[in-house]
Amino acid sequence: MAETNNPFPENAARESAANGKLIQTEDLWKTYLMGSEEIHALRGVSLEIERNEYVAIMGPSGSGKSTLMNLIGCLDTPTRGSYWINGKLASELDDDQLAYLRNREIGFVFQTFNLLPRATALGNVELPLVYRGLPAAERREKAQDALRMVELADRMDHRPSELSGGERQRVAIARALVNSPSIVLADEPTGNLDSATGAEIMNLFNRLNREGNTLLVVTHERDVAACARRIIHIRDGMVERDERIR
Amino acid sequence: MSIGDSFRLAIHTLLAYKLRSFLTLLGILISVTTLVTVVSIVRGMDQFVAERLSQLGTEVFVISRFGMITNAKQWAEAQKRPRLTLQDYQALRRGVTQATHVGAIVRERGELKHGRQSLRAAVRGVTANMIDIRTEELATGRYISEADYRHRKQVCVIGADVLKNLYPSGNAVGKLLSIRGQRFQVVGVAEPVGSIFGQSQDNFVYIPLTTALKLYGQRRSIGFQIRVREAALLPAATDQARLILRTRHHLGYFDKDDFGLISPAAVLELWQSLTGTIARAAVVVTIIFVVMGGIVIMNIMLASLTERTWEVGMRKAVGATRADVRMQFLMEAACLSTLGGVLGVALAFAGTRLVALLSPVPAPFSLDIVVAALAVSSAVGLFFGIYPADRAARLDPITALRSEGC
Repeated sequence: MAETNNPFPENAARESAANGKLIQTEDLWKTYLMGSEEIHALRGVSLEIERNEYVAIMGPSGSGKSTLMNLIGCLDTPTRGSYWINGKLASELDDDQLAYLRNREIGFVFQTFNLLPRATALGNVELPLVYRGLPAAERREKAQDALRMVELADRMDHRPSELSGGERQRVAIARALVNSPSIVLADEPTGNLDSATGAEIMNLFNRLNREGNTLLVVTHERDVAACARRIIHIRDGMVERDERIR
Repeated sequence: MSIGDSFRLAIHTLLAYKLRSFLTLLGILISVTTLVTVVSIVRGMDQFVAERLSQLGTEVFVISRFGMITNAKQWAEAQKRPRLTLQDYQALRRGVTQATHVGAIVRERGELKHGRQSLRAAVRGVTANMIDIRTEELATGRYISEADYRHRKQVCVIGADVLKNLYPSGNAVGKLLSIRGQRFQVVGVAEPVGSIFGQSQDNFVYIPLTTALKLYGQRRSIGFQIRVREAALLPAATDQARLILRTRHHLGYFDKDDFGLISPAAVLELWQSLTGTIARAAVVVTIIFVVMGGIVIMNIMLASLTERTWEVGMRKAVGATRADVRMQFLMEAACLSTLGGVLGVALAFAGTRLVALLSPVPAPFSLDIVVAALAVSSAVGLFFGIYPADRAARLDPITALRSEGC
């Protein structure tokens, strides 16, 4: 089985606009229509994230941080503005091209883990590779490597129901890492965990960042955000403050 | 995602929800079983009847007062027809030169008695040449002779069932039996014939035609059985017989025959038109059931989609395209209905074997109907999978992810 072909006709002129940044957004707007009323979830967000950064996005609920993360995660497209990821202009791509970007450039970690209950840890981690179109043997090898990276080598054949909450989230992190994405997006990754287990996950994130991964964590918890090296505060759909703390 | 991967995923999902999968494919299963079984049995009956008719002989045709009557109106009209008489018989015997044999028969039912045993059986008065026209063979003794016929002898040839029931010793020739209080001597025993649709064909006694008319009354209508040398001569012999009877009955040019002509081909044709109607009705009804089975699959797929919304969202988040998701759900529907079809065919196979085992109908299991059933069930699954698969493929990943996951 051949790998899914890259759907992008390379466009050098467009890519140069990203200036080598991993992530660059320019005046991102997202507007929803609620009845006849326009709701502006994002009002012109411009930010840049470089390779190997560890960024937290903080803000109260309704601030637009989830909307921002969905846009960065290529799950959604902006109403207005431009977004480049790894040199590709994601804001103007179609559905299948966005799916390709989510598969290759982005690893998601969800608050509710979102693991397939009937599949083993290994099967769950293999999933992105299945959609990438890799042959079974190669999938297996890569998935095992990813599970070793999160110290779950001895839990590969367990189903989610046989794992603790922390272990489930580590499986989810392995799934996010398995395709060697440009960036890992975590949405409230400790929200469903007790504080000890949450701390454990944050330690894992620290280590992954030291090993060269780019991380973006969305949270409303100060402790979680404090683990990052840069915090972007969002309020009313705009960047309120962008602080580097380490 | 490759076809192989989506096939494995579909099988994995179906096995994960075994009961639900089974109930979902039950509709398809039952309708495919019915379809294949009914068509096989109808075909078996056609084959069976054709075989039996060829045993009767394709070189024989029958003339009777009523012929083949298929509705009440025909029956009422036939009541007005004249009886067929011994004089008609003599005329046919002289005039149908294309025939090798012209025989006559009257049919009755009567109580046979021997000692304390008694048995109801077909009593047939025949001419001596009926041994050359009908297909029964003698096991022992002799047939009704020309002399028996001329002298209205009280002799009889009995069928295998009569032998078994009235003469348990197995030896009947020379013994007596009584019909309507008259004593008959058994002169011969026929070879067993077997049964048709559970009706034994060996429960009969032959007596001379003249004796039968004496016993049951001279005014009974007689039937004629006419044998030709080869089937190709049937039309010519039939024409001769019709001409003779029409002349004798003083029918005008535009009058309809006032007697019935039955050829083996006509019987087979009537039978096949009957079973053809049954088969067509069965096919239409079961195809409606198959479609309903498809609707059940669509319904369950839509229901399961609501509880798997988060799964679709997650799959899209890790890189599944619309085509991948559509393929996943289509494959599931197709696997369900194909599995239903396969199980249905297997059940029908068992059913037809059972029919073949318990009845004389061969119930052949033909490949074409199996292929057709499988093709229809898979197609139905694919068709009714399109809508749920499209719904799944169009799910917005963000909304889908917001529904609770695991």
